[in-house]
Amino acid sequence: MLTSGPVVVMQVPEILNVKEVRNFMEELGPLLESNRPRIVLDCSQVRSMESAGVEMLLRCLEEVLKRDGDLKLATLSPEAEVILELMRVARVFEAFQTCEDAVRSFNAIPADAVPQNTPWYADVFGELGVLKQAS
Amino acid sequence: MKLVVGAIIIGDQTGAMENKQSPSRFSSYQAPWASMEVLGATPIARLAEDLQKDCDTVSVISKDRDSQHAKATHQASMADLAGDCFANYKREGLGTVLIIRCGSYVELEIAEMLNFHHEQGVGVTRAFSDDAPLDVWMVDLSGLPEHVATLATLLSTLLCARPAMYRSQGYVNQLRTAREFRRLVLDSFYSRCRLRPQGSEIKPGIWSSEGAEIERSARVVAPAFIGRDVYISAECLITRGSNVESNSRVDFGTAVEDSTILPNSYVGIGLDLSHSIVDGRNLLNLQHNVNLEITDPVVMRQNTVGGGHRQSWASIETSSMSLSSAE
Repeated sequence: MLTSGPVVVMQVPEILNVKEVRNFMEELGPLLESNRPRIVLDCSQVRSMESAGVEMLLRCLEEVLKRDGDLKLATLSPEAEVILELMRVARVFEAFQTCEDAVRSFNAIPADAVPQNTPWYADVFGELGVLKQAS
Repeated sequence: MKLVVGAIIIGDQTGAMENKQSPSRFSSYQAPWASMEVLGATPIARLAEDLQKDCDTVSVISKDRDSQHAKATHQASMADLAGDCFANYKREGLGTVLIIRCGSYVELEIAEMLNFHHEQGVGVTRAFSDDAPLDVWMVDLSGLPEHVATLATLLSTLLCARPAMYRSQGYVNQLRTAREFRRLVLDSFYSRCRLRPQGSEIKPGIWSSEGAEIERSARVVAPAFIGRDVYISAECLITRGSNVESNSRVDFGTAVEDSTILPNSYVGIGLDLSHSIVDGRNLLNLQHNVNLEITDPVVMRQNTVGGGHRQSWASIETSSMSLSSAE
């Protein structure tokens, strides 16, 4: 099934320590368990991130990828950028200048461009039916 | 041959302060860059050692609270200490005093400056570099007031005296910003100044001080400096002009590139540290111009293993040099 829910944008707290990670995961957890979760984390407020915060981001990414979804980061504060680079995970995440850009990136190929009941080869072999009729 | 000159290095910090728009220094740090260790010793210590070659007496007056002397003399004001120095110099029969307010790193030709000072025949000579006036003054002791109320008074007295301008040809680094501090490290590595890394050159361009330990699987790429009692763990990479100062530790698999790790710092496992200055749990990234306090001790912290306190420039004390500190 190729359907997917809306893109969810969530604000990451200013300080990502063990306590804040626990609170944040209470909100984020149910979203991760949905079908093909599409999540944008707005990191504009992040001023401090402990290793627990980086671990949480990696765990979230792992979960969404398992469910064929994706997690993207947006408006990374310079502090967050430095910490992600320091911990060698900056390249693991797709990051965008704005939340809008991140949301748009999920729809780079709009879902409605391909009708859900049409097989994937319909665009390429659109004339197949015609050929069948002719034979 | 030594010149009949006394020298006072004033280690107050105003000369090295930055404005808040440029957050390129540690917010929790009040000491000037000139009091930070660079390749084994602080710029102030190096300056004092350098001056000892030419001057009869060298005195260092500082606000450094870490200094052993600060505890002993913290009641005295810096101006009082400066006044005491002037009185001592007069008693010793010195005619000229060199006053350096140390916020910057300067390499002076004392004999040349003294000649210039005598030729000009004025009581005060001030050194200039190409781009800016330096807080380096040569003064006839007879022209100085008997009592100095504050350092500001002293400096304004010097300025009012219409000093002769001596253009210094030596290397100058104003050490106003973290970038200038890093530049001093690189200038030293590439022999653009007289400042040399302390310790022995174990391979071309790689210096190591006493007690430094580098695991076999760690890789150090020139130019680099590994300070006294530093421990570099297995699989680490130290490269591109990085210096790890005394009693610091870089843990397993971490890469340090174009960075300075200041004394007594611990840098955790598997990190990628680049274009930065680390001091304990303070991280200053020069590429992003970000100043962070890392609260996670697993990542960075003050290193308490294997060593004493932050090396203060008070440790440069030698027999012919007096050191004083003030609150």
